[in-house]
This record gives sequence, C-alpha cells and structure tokens, in this order.
Amino acid sequence: MHKKHIRGTVDGVGILSYIVMTLFAVLCFFPFYYIFIVSISDPDKVREGAMILYPQGFSLEAYEVTLTHARFYSSLKVSVIRTLVGTALGVVFSSALAYAVSRPYLRGRKWLTLFLIFTMLFNGGMIPTYLVVRYTGLIDTIWALIIPNMINTFNVIVLINFFRAVPAELEESAKMDGANDIIIFIRLMIPVAMPSIATITLFIAVYHWNALTDGILYINTSTKKPLQVYLNDIVVAGQTQDMFQDASARWMPTMSLKTATIFASTLPILIVYPFLQKYFVKGVMVGSVKG
Amino acid sequence: MVKQGKKYWHKLGVDLLRDRWLYALILPGFIWFLIYRYLPMAGLSLAFREYDMKGGLFGGEFVGLKYFQYIFFEHRNFWQLVWNTLIINIYKLIFYFPIPILFAMFLNEILSERYKRVLQTIIYLPHFVSWVVFGSIIITFLNPTEGIVNQIIQLFGGEPIFFLSDPKYFRGIVVISDIWKEAGYGTIIYLAAITGIDPTLYEAGRIDGASRWQSMRYITLPCISETIVVMLLLDIGRIMNVGFEQIYVLANSAVYSTGDVISTYVYRLGIGSGRFSLTTAIGLFQSVIGFVMILSCNAISRKVADKGLW
Repeated sequence: MHKKHIRGTVDGVGILSYIVMTLFAVLCFFPFYYIFIVSISDPDKVREGAMILYPQGFSLEAYEVTLTHARFYSSLKVSVIRTLVGTALGVVFSSALAYAVSRPYLRGRKWLTLFLIFTMLFNGGMIPTYLVVRYTGLIDTIWALIIPNMINTFNVIVLINFFRAVPAELEESAKMDGANDIIIFIRLMIPVAMPSIATITLFIAVYHWNALTDGILYINTSTKKPLQVYLNDIVVAGQTQDMFQDASARWMPTMSLKTATIFASTLPILIVYPFLQKYFVKGVMVGSVKG
Repeated sequence: MVKQGKKYWHKLGVDLLRDRWLYALILPGFIWFLIYRYLPMAGLSLAFREYDMKGGLFGGEFVGLKYFQYIFFEHRNFWQLVWNTLIINIYKLIFYFPIPILFAMFLNEILSERYKRVLQTIIYLPHFVSWVVFGSIIITFLNPTEGIVNQIIQLFGGEPIFFLSDPKYFRGIVVISDIWKEAGYGTIIYLAAITGIDPTLYEAGRIDGASRWQSMRYITLPCISETIVVMLLLDIGRIMNVGFEQIYVLANSAVYSTGDVISTYVYRLGIGSGRFSLTTAIGLFQSVIGFVMILSCNAISRKVADKGLW
C-alpha cells in the first residue's frame, strides 16, 4: 500500500517489468500446459505430427495404456511407499535432532553443530557412499531409497533456527511441572513449531517423490525402481517402444505415451503445490536468515 | 587446579545426567550421520588402496598415489571432465546468476500485489518438478521430428536441428534449461532482501526527483548487494559441482565431449564398471577442491559482506 502510494506512476520500467515477467511466467507454465494437452489429444492427431498448441480432439486412451502398464504400477507403489515412510522418518529424526541441538544449555552443542555443518562442506562422494549403502545391506531394497538420504542437513539447520526462536519460558514452566525433555518435545515443542515442521515435511516429501539418483545407484530390479527412474527409462533413454510392446500400445504414438506418463507422475506435485507454496516462502526465508 | 578439574567433571556429569533425554533425542540422528555421512568420508581412503571384494570399504592393498598419478598424468580425458564441469558452471555464473536478481527487481516493480502473487506462483512451479520430468519435457520439445521447437523451425523453412546429439549445443541447453527451471525460484532470496529495504529511502528518492529506473538502480540494487555477494560466493564455492541429475537426464554419449562432467563419469565408471578405487580418487579430488573453495569463499564473505556463508 505504502509503496503504491509512493511509486504509483506508470512508466518504462513498470511496463518492462510487466512484459518480461509475464513472458517468463508464460514460459514456465507452457511445458505443463503442452504436456497436458498432448496427453489428452486424440492419438491419431498426435501421430500425424502436426504442431499442437491446443487439444486436438479428446482421448484418454494414452492414460489407459500408461496407467495400466505393469511397470508404471510397481514404480508408483515404490514411490508412494518411499515418500510416505521416508518423509515420516526424516521429519521425526530431523526435528528430534534439531530440537535437542537447539537447546542453548546443552553440553557439546557447538561440537554437534559443527558435526552437522561439516557434512554440508565436505562429503564422501558417490562411490564411498554407495559402498556404505552396499555394506549396510540396503542395495536393491526399498530402504536404499529411504535411509541413505533420510536426513538433510540444511533442513536440520532450518529447524534448529525455528526451535531456537521458541521462548524459553514455555520449556521452563513445563520442567517445573516435572516433565522430561522427550515429553516437552512431543507435547509442547512440536505443536508450537508445527508451521515450520509442516514446511519441512513438504520439502522432504517433494524430495522423495522427485529423487532419481538413489534409484539409479542403489536399485537393480526393474519392479523395485521408483517412478522417476521408470520415467527416465521411458522418455530419456528412449525405450518407450520396447516397454510398451503389448498389442494395445503398438498403434499408440510414443508422444502420447510419453506425455501421459510425464503428466501422471507430475500430478502429485501439482496437487500438493498450493499447500507447499503457502509454507515454503516462510521456510526458505527463515533458513536464509542464518543458515 | 586439581580441585577445579574435579569440579568441572562433576558439573559435566550433572549436566549430562540432567539432559540425558535430550541426548536420547540426538542419538538416532547422530548414529545416522556417522554411518551415512562420516563413514563414506573415511571410505575416501579407498583412493589410496586397491579395492577388493573381500576387504570391502577398508580393506585392500595400499597403493599410495597410484590412482592420482594415473588420473593427473595418464588418464585420457580427466582434464576434459574437469574443464566441462568448470565451464558449465562458469556459463551458469555469467548467464544464470544475474537473472534471478533482475527478475526479483522486476517483480518488485509490479504494483498489483495480486498479479505479482500469480506470477510468483507460476514461476516457482518448475523448481518443484524433478529433473527427470523437466528434462523429459525439454527432450520432447527438442525432438528432431515431433518436437515443437523443430516444428517451429520448419514452419519458417529451416532444417530440423538435432539439438541433443550435437556437442556444440549441449552446454547452452544445460544453462537455458537451468534458467527456465530455477531462475523463478531463485528470486525468493532477493525478494526477501528487497522486502527488508527501508521504504523511506524510496520516499526520499522520489522527493529528490528520482525516476523509477533511478530508484531501482541507486536504491534497490545497492541495498541487496550484500545478498548478491553472498550468493555469488556460494555459487563460486560450488564451482566443481554440477547438478548430477540434470546432466544425467540431458546428456547422451553423442555429447560427452562437451557435456560429460565429473559426477556422470564417476557414476558410469564406478557403478557401471566397478572401478571403485579410481573413481573414489576422482571423487576425493572433487571433494577436496570443493572444500577448499567453499572455505575460501566463506573467508572472503566474512571480509567483504561482514558475515559468513553459514
């Protein structure tokens, strides 16, 4: 309001801002629009190869083929399980760790913070990590997608900052009543920090849904691969035709199958996005105050 | 002295006992960090040993600097991989880095709060889809026959271009797709900095007859310069790391000459061919350079922006 009052005039800079940002927004929205309209267009029209800028006919046949494909189904299951379990474990262990480390009177707090931050500056890299995953017996199990990246140090640091901002009186009065730290953490601190925990939860869930690297590193059996690896095999590695060899798919243009698979696997993100958006700006900002 | 020491240990014992439940909360996470973050660091010692199945992570015969000698002096394209990694990041610094800053300043000039929020919602969206999805879309767009980019080229009478199998286009595609996917989300940090600017500065500027362009140039930009410097140093600190997933999704063997980076090579040779010691040596080289870079940038940041990167 205040700003509008001061700089209300329309001029070159204002017009330029509107044009550039509107164009960029259109550019950002276009891929999702395009993938969607191609996926619901009539496969015969898609096969003709004409440029599609709006839906050509209407057909859900591409979805019928892709969604009933056995490997899509198994990948979807893997992705859903890893996202649910991985997010639950990640949130619990990250916030427990963050809460304890955030207590200013805790002995060794500085060392523990350094212990955490050091992992953001230096790491063992792909191969030693792979070997650790292998020697801990996780290769080719769903746990390989859950445990090795269960905790993200950045998220822990963000949570530490949140917990640090909670007034000390809350905790002190609970201690007077004889509650121990775990009870205080569960009954008192989690509800107080709920907005930030919700933010972190969504971030971890999006990470799990989108993760590709652990799937290609740690999973060998095709039925155990997550959705992103399946999508990579289909679209990127160009195995669309090999994968859909059944008769029903043979007449289907690969473009329809690809776009339908892409859109179906992006849909969960598009659904949680409004909730995500409500929280994440706050989350990112608090993290950046003192990361 | 002795008495004081005793006191210290006594106090420590009391404190540890008092906070035992807090340590209990830390324990699972602590063990996880030890196994999945610190154990791999110890595993880097594999770069100096000959990996064998039986010995595992810490076995194998000591071979000293054999693998480093090999990658530095004998390996056919190690320096090409380093160069590809560096040049892609340098291009990103030149072409990607200024864009979120510019976009944040543009967004700040959009006076309708509602329209601004709509724009933000849309431009943040690509950040939240995976590189597989976004890369798939790029690959679909650039397809020589059915891709929309080539359809447009043909519409204007041009010949279809094989974008993704031509090494000369690859780095450009990486940088442009990065801008497309991440530049919108990248504005958040600068918008936060802009929000913190004292509005009376703009008022004073207006009284002095500053145009909107001038207040953008002489008020907004200087006020967010500290954030810009910090972000720049963070990016420079990460100059040896290119996002693995982006390259993995977009690259194919036809463009390895310009597009194969350290991480994708380590993946193919390490996981694909089981050359664990060699690829660990390459990984150690990358990690050490990265560590030195980020520490140096932090030191510079402390000096220039008067605050560290973390």
